[in-house]
This record gives sequence, C-alpha cells and structure tokens, in this order.
Amino acid sequence: MNDRPVLGTSSSAGVLAAFRAAWPGSDARMIEDAYEAAAWWHRGQRRRSGDPYITHPVAVAIIVAELGMRQEVVCAALLHDVLGDTGCSADWLRTRFGPEVADLVAGVATLDVYEELREAVRRYDAGVLAEVPCGRDVLVLKLADRLHNMRTMRFLPWAKQRRKAQETWEVLAPLAARLGMDAIRWELGQLAAEILHHGRHGVPARTTAHRALSVAAALLPHLARARWLEEWNGELAVLPTRRARARFATQLVCGMPRLALALRRGAPGRIRR
Amino acid sequence: MTLQTQLIVRALLAEPTQERYGLELGELTGLPSGTVYPILARLERVNWVESTWEAPEVHEAAGRPRRRFYRLTPDGVEQARAAVARVTRPRRSPRLGWGLTPSSVVGV
Repeated sequence: MNDRPVLGTSSSAGVLAAFRAAWPGSDARMIEDAYEAAAWWHRGQRRRSGDPYITHPVAVAIIVAELGMRQEVVCAALLHDVLGDTGCSADWLRTRFGPEVADLVAGVATLDVYEELREAVRRYDAGVLAEVPCGRDVLVLKLADRLHNMRTMRFLPWAKQRRKAQETWEVLAPLAARLGMDAIRWELGQLAAEILHHGRHGVPARTTAHRALSVAAALLPHLARARWLEEWNGELAVLPTRRARARFATQLVCGMPRLALALRRGAPGRIRR
Repeated sequence: MTLQTQLIVRALLAEPTQERYGLELGELTGLPSGTVYPILARLERVNWVESTWEAPEVHEAAGRPRRRFYRLTPDGVEQARAAVARVTRPRRSPRLGWGLTPSSVVGV
C-alpha cells in the first residue's frame, strides 16, 4: 500500500507551470507526487483516442490550475479518475494525500450530473451559494473534467456523444455560468451545440476554416482559447466567400505561435519603440 | 515599435473613440489576420487598448455572432500619439560637417 509510485516525471511540467503562474513561489511538491501517483495507477490504460490515459487527468489539472485553484484541488484533478477506474482505494488516497484531496476525489467520482448538479444550479439561482451540497471545488473539478472530455469526444460512439452533449447543454454549461466561469461556459455550450445540432438547419456549419482554427488554437493558453475562437467565429461569419474565409484562417494559423507568445508572456511587457 | 504595430496604432488613432473589430483593422491596414490579433493582444496586455464584446441587441439584430471590439484607452491614446511622433520624427538632426552648416542643410 505504501510503495511509492515510480513512473512518469516529465509531463507534469504543464500542470506545474500553470500552478506556479497562479501561485508564484509556492511549494508544488504535492502536485508532483499526485502526478506520479496518478501515472502509476493509470499505467497501461489508454483513452479511446489511443493516448495514454494520464493525458486526461493532466489536461484537467492544467485547466484547474489556470483557474487559479489551490494545490489540493489541482492534486484532486490529477487523481480524479483513480477511484473509479483503477484499483486505488479511498483509504490509500486519504493516507497518502490527506482528507481534503481524498474527499474532493470521492466527491467528483460520485457526483450525479442530473440530480446533484441540477440541484446546484437551483440553489445558486435561489441565492444560497454556500449551501451547494458538494462544495464549489467539486463543481469546478467536474466542469474542467467535462470540458476536456467534450474537447476530445470525437472518439466516442455517436449515441454516447449525444447523451453527454445533452447533459452538458442542459446542466453543465448553465452551472458554469452560475459560477461565473464565462470562458468555460461558452466553450461547453459551443462543443455541445455542435453535436446536438449536427447537420441541422439554422446552426452555422463548422467549415474547414473553423476546424483549422480550433486545432491551431490548441497552442493558446486554455482559458484564452474560447475567447479568441469566439472572436474569430464572429469574423468568419461575415466573410463573404469560402476563399476569403480560407485566407483569413490560414494567415491566422501561421500567426498562432505569435499570439500564444503574446498571451503567455508573464509580466506585461512594453511595446518596443 | 514594428512597422505593423505602427499601422495598427495609427488606424486606431485616426478616430480614437471609434471601436474597431479585428477584421476591420485588417482591412484598414492591409495586414494579414495572423499579424493583427497578436498585435492587438500585446497592445491590450500593456493597456494601450481595451476590448469588449458587442452588445447582444446589436449583433442579434444584425443576425450574426457577437464581435470583439477594440478601442484605445485614454492612457493608450497619449502613449500611442507620443510613440508615433517619435518614430515619425528623424532620430537625429542631419550630421553636420563636410562643409555643411545648419543653414545650408535647411536650404537643401
């Protein structure tokens, strides 16, 4: 039970970078430990896309860290799937990472989307913020988890995609709006609408230009991505021809590294004279 | 300040109170989209420029997605004017010597 997991080092880098950006100078050793533990428990598992499973909790943890959440919540994001999908027990988590992380992980694992999250939305609307049964951190974890799942959903069977999209549209996007997480609310809504209105009239079809931009925007910081994609979707919508849209998108794809650099640069710089 | 940044700044300075969207600035300056948005992001970062989403009434009435509008901040107007003046003015006066006197330079 107490043998120290011994796998994986390098790809906790993204989580650590995002966490340190939000909490400069703080000790992040617990996050490195959580990454190693998660990589160990998920060893050998793969996502539907064929990627190693650990890439999912890492992506969720990056989203959570970029939201500026505490170290315990970032650790819980890294470990959020070990209870359901691996042999890891709640006791092991508690011993290794303490009660707070263990409770958060258990909270996410047992959260019922329709019952509990609907209830959470109702309570927010009634103004009883503090009384959300599972606590705000668990809701944030669930939203980050769903955001990454929606982004990588194309590998799932169609029926399951639709079911998840429905849930996202009815419950999770409204919840994100209540929590004031506007960028996440927008992206969840877009991703869900794409699946729900697939091919139906009245919803702008995803053109090649849109798809190219979504892929290239992976270079941008997670939380900035939705804002810029929404902005460009607006511009694409008024460009008259496919050719004009293609040129707009191609130039933009070429400029994406520059934009990523401009957005990631730590302290606000100066315009060079 | 790069030439491209100057073009964007000049386009915004032309009517400082007018809100512009990215596509429009690309058309005004002739710069490609991949150049316009990174420059806007940097200008926003240093608070020369602020951006807002278009009001729902406006874009819903027009039947299109909302636009992101950019405008110089009051501070940005001043800084941008100063910066443009600096790059427009020659860096130093013509080198004297070789028989040139200030009056002969002016006369050229």
